Amino acid sequence: MTSSVMERQAKVAGKTLNLSDIQGNVVRAYGHIGYFHARYLFFRINDPGNARAFLTRVAERVTNSAYADSKRNTRQTTSKASTNVAFTFAGLQAIELPAGSLMGFPQEFAAGMKKRMSILGDEGSSAPEHWDNIWQKEVHLWVSINGLSNADVEERYQWILRQNKDSGDGVELLSGHRGAAGEEDLMFQTGAILRDENGNPSGKEHFGYRDGISDPVFEGQPNAPDTVLGRGKLLAGDKWAPLAPGEFLLGHLDEAQEYPKAPMPRSLAQNGTFMVYRKLHQNVATFRRYLDDSAAQFEGSKEMLAAKFCGRWRDNGAPIVDAPDDAGKKCWDARFEAADAAEKRRMLTDFHYNDDIDGARCPMSGHLRRMNPRGSLEFGQKGAFNTPSALADRRRILRRGLPYGQSGPDTNDADDHGIIFMALNASIERQFEFVQQQWVNYGNDFKEGNDKEILLGNHTGEGKAVLQVEPGSGKPPHFLTKLPRFVECRGGDYFFVPGITALKMIAAGIVDPT
Amino acid sequence: MANTGGGAQALTILSPIKNGYLGETTFADETFKRCMNIRIHEESPLAKIPDTYLARLYVLNDVLYESKPANDTILNLNDLFSLFKGKYRLRGLPKTDKLKSRYLVFSSNFHGESDEDLDRYLKNLYLHWDYTDYYGKRHDIHHIWRHCVAYDKVKSADDFVSYMRKCALDTSLFFNGSNGDSLKEQLKALYLKQELSRFAINHQGKSAGEIQTAWHAFIDRVRPTDLEAPSWKPGQSTVRTS
Repeated sequence: MTSSVMERQAKVAGKTLNLSDIQGNVVRAYGHIGYFHARYLFFRINDPGNARAFLTRVAERVTNSAYADSKRNTRQTTSKASTNVAFTFAGLQAIELPAGSLMGFPQEFAAGMKKRMSILGDEGSSAPEHWDNIWQKEVHLWVSINGLSNADVEERYQWILRQNKDSGDGVELLSGHRGAAGEEDLMFQTGAILRDENGNPSGKEHFGYRDGISDPVFEGQPNAPDTVLGRGKLLAGDKWAPLAPGEFLLGHLDEAQEYPKAPMPRSLAQNGTFMVYRKLHQNVATFRRYLDDSAAQFEGSKEMLAAKFCGRWRDNGAPIVDAPDDAGKKCWDARFEAADAAEKRRMLTDFHYNDDIDGARCPMSGHLRRMNPRGSLEFGQKGAFNTPSALADRRRILRRGLPYGQSGPDTNDADDHGIIFMALNASIERQFEFVQQQWVNYGNDFKEGNDKEILLGNHTGEGKAVLQVEPGSGKPPHFLTKLPRFVECRGGDYFFVPGITALKMIAAGIVDPT
Repeated sequence: MANTGGGAQALTILSPIKNGYLGETTFADETFKRCMNIRIHEESPLAKIPDTYLARLYVLNDVLYESKPANDTILNLNDLFSLFKGKYRLRGLPKTDKLKSRYLVFSSNFHGESDEDLDRYLKNLYLHWDYTDYYGKRHDIHHIWRHCVAYDKVKSADDFVSYMRKCALDTSLFFNGSNGDSLKEQLKALYLKQELSRFAINHQGKSAGEIQTAWHAFIDRVRPTDLEAPSWKPGQSTVRTS
């Protein structure tokens, strides 16, 4: 082949991701295209042959990530609903994936979430015996439907059930989801964006925080250059660069310049990822009560205290490092109001903790700082690592999901409401589990001893957290005491989300690891 | 040539696939899907190509990054720098190479050493390639190569031969599993080996007279010098019990 012909190729492969081979919601969250309603279905595989026939039909309508490239019109931008598929390890066994391929999967995925409970801190009220009924069964297959309206979701749901029936009922839809009216055995888990008093999507979760503002940005995402500030990795001189795609997608180089551990053949892993699915129940009444009680002794408004818990203000997501107190928030709001869309985006994400080394603005146990410390693990020692955020770069996760249930003014802890939380990463052990074990339920990396992260920590009613102040300011730090558990796990598992080609191979039964 | 030897030729063809989309699917993924739906073994279109020992099709997505080559010097320079700073060692790592496109790879070992043999083989590939996929649809060879760069200029068997020769590698990727005999001889040999084993097992412990009678009948049935039949079929991969 002559080089001139080669040069005529439009793009250099490898510079961009093959978006149409990556499942939807991975490269860009569905919320961006107005899919505010979701249903999560879980199946058991009873007949592998018929299950593969079912998957072959479903694979034809599985949604890819092409819509993440706004320059291309795709089927997805015109479709009213999406469909995605993932497998537990038991599911891959049940669909008869060859032993040679099964052996290549990481151990934590093979073990499943329940067996990792002590690593995750799923103890006490989060222990598996309190999970929804469905998690007392063996789950094989996850099928998610996201859509513009509940009716669109329902239509796709019926279509999926029909495909199973027409291919000989190879899979069985499992019941056992709790519901808002006290049901214990619903056929699916619903999720939907919360709305404000006018019925408009609020983008908030049940504690009142604006959610899903800042997800990691990695190479190959079509909008990476416009969104990298505060969301990629932090380099020397306060520069931001997209993370390596291998942190989130199998078959691509990661931050260590290595390929993530993945099963053989390569085509089975290519463009796949691992998903952590967790139903996180929120004790809304407890949270509101605790915030009210603590605010009584706090020097500042209740909203400022709520912002300290999280690292962002509840109303508009203003980062507390840039709006450190009530007066600072007013200035920030004025600037935000006057800013155009791109600048608004930048103001919400483009920050670091370089001027807040002691945690006086964003507390060391605040949600944001624990989830993504950015460059702050250098503790002000410039050049401590190769790059300021080197330690955080291997611990990032893509967050997906939607709230479920309602939480009005009279809500109580027993109501079924919270977040369906889905984390996507190349290594569940290195990324999600590490953050959960070391940064949520333990505080040593932040010089906070045993103190847990305020919002998600598995508190027992005994623990504390410190809201730091400027050293030398003469003010005492504020102690949050007797922290109750605000968030409990109600079920979930670890899933493998194959690329589209890999899904078709699994469905065709032609995966060959030799 | 480095890709011939002992009566056989190792043919490796890399055809770059166009970058772009067919609907929502990249041309490369579509090509992969078409390869995936080709039947295998005796039902493979490749079994119809005379003199094919072994052939396979796959899509090559990219080259793999191998990081820094190992060496056995006591210390290399980059390691020395890393005594001062890790970033110098990182800078010493080779740059990642990427292919400019994805490739359809056709790899075959066949009988015949000369250039004329190669031309004849490729022509047969073009003329005999005709198959019904898993969904019952019939396809010619263009169905598989259609999305490769410059393949749209292929209108005839001669065009096809020269296109393939342009994409061929000059390197020997031999399948270590056949000798240089013709395909028919090799298939017959496999058949005879299987039948002889079965004969020996079935007549164990019988008298010399019985065995002799049976042997004549056996030779009449298996016809050792007849390469046409009975024999294994091209593409056959497992022993038949009948």
